[in-house]
Amino acid sequence: MHCTRARDYLSRDLDGMLPPDATVGLREHVDACLDCQTFRQDLVLGRRLLAATEPKLPDNFDWKLQLRLNQALQQRAGETAYPWYEEPHVRRGNWLPAFGAATSLGLAAVLAFAVFLGPRERLPLVTDGAPALSSPSIAAVPASPVTVVDAGTLDERPADAAANLAGRSDRRPLFGAPQGGGLYGGGVARGLSVGTDGGASRVFDRGWSGDRFEDARTIRQLRAYNAQLQQTLHRQQLELQRLKAQLDTIGAGGLDTGATR
Amino acid sequence: MNLSRENNPLDDPRRLRAALRDVRDEDLIVMVQQGQKRAFDEIVHRYKGRLFSFIMRMVKEPSLAEELTQETLIRVYVHADKYREIARFSTWVFTIATNLVRNKMRQRSRRPHTISLNTAPDDDEVPVDPADLRADTSERVQREELGRLIAEATEKIPERYRIPFLLREVEQLSYEEIQQVTGLKLGTVRSRINRARTRFRLLIKPMLKNESLLAELEEIEARAAAEDGVPSADD
Repeated sequence: MHCTRARDYLSRDLDGMLPPDATVGLREHVDACLDCQTFRQDLVLGRRLLAATEPKLPDNFDWKLQLRLNQALQQRAGETAYPWYEEPHVRRGNWLPAFGAATSLGLAAVLAFAVFLGPRERLPLVTDGAPALSSPSIAAVPASPVTVVDAGTLDERPADAAANLAGRSDRRPLFGAPQGGGLYGGGVARGLSVGTDGGASRVFDRGWSGDRFEDARTIRQLRAYNAQLQQTLHRQQLELQRLKAQLDTIGAGGLDTGATR
Repeated sequence: MNLSRENNPLDDPRRLRAALRDVRDEDLIVMVQQGQKRAFDEIVHRYKGRLFSFIMRMVKEPSLAEELTQETLIRVYVHADKYREIARFSTWVFTIATNLVRNKMRQRSRRPHTISLNTAPDDDEVPVDPADLRADTSERVQREELGRLIAEATEKIPERYRIPFLLREVEQLSYEEIQQVTGLKLGTVRSRINRARTRFRLLIKPMLKNESLLAELEEIEARAAAEDGVPSADD
């Protein structure tokens, strides 16, 4: 028998688990092998050392156990007798985070809807006969500007603008904005053009989710433009009066300027 | 309690305890199931030392070992109705204890690892040096020192070998009971016990050659035998 197998058998023999048929061979080997004899003695000594050094319980173990046992039983009895007692706490503890999460998700969804999916068309700032740009002075501008007058005496640009506002422009972008681009560039706000499109209202085509300052700036610009047109109209009226006076002076007949309309 | 209210001859706690002393563990737990709480006292009396010894050698911290021992006994009481005599009661108790110890050791291993600056480097094959043992010959210190050396040697046995080793060497459970406690195959139990013994022998080899240490071991054993022979005061 080899020592490795003999030591395995020795371990089992120490526990009384060695089959009887292996006992005889083991004894023969151990009687002849000094190392295995030492091994067996060491196993026995190890067991004795473990037994001799058994840890001692603390002195107050019993009453500590009694205390913990009482607590465990009270807790268990409480759970059994009053099953509803702890439930509100549990529910409240679970309800608050759930409510917070649901509220956050709801707010996030509303914001996302506002930013990305909200209405892109707003109230029209300029329409056919829109109040902002349909002052009597502009309405008084003839559909055909003063062609009989020397063109050099008039500023063409306001007349063109007035014509645009009156609906004769072909969707020309306002203030030099590129065609199809608009004041706000690309993205959510897609463009701004003023005028009419076949009788339909022209509106600001952009999202409403921001850039309100852009609206205010546009209104300011339109008001300034309106004032500029009124000044031009006033100058034209003065020029008409001057020409009429000249005609009266030379005895010619009156000229229908439409100023009285 | 049922016994005392029905004018039972065993209503005296001392007589009751003396009567319970010879009752099998399996019968005691049946009595606990029937509501006889004194039977649980006897179970605690029988198992608290064994459980603490086993758990202490596994976790090494006295406070934690005490806590786990109490937890084991509490679970025995609270879940007494779940015990069925398909296995020995000791097997059931040590299964609870082993599971608690394993859970605790698993929790420990998940914690951030800290290294104490005061301890020696951890080397499995470094034998325990018993040189300091001869310095103090007082009984308590002598026992504590020897216990510390054995605990250090035991701790160096890997956990998978240590559990069956301690269940066999300290608690003297049979191989079949260890198989039930650990869930291992019988051959695995046997080989693990054998490997643990071989490793333990290597670790304590310097102590085994120390004549004075062996003499101290015999002294301790003699004192223990003498204490066992004297009846305890509360009997």
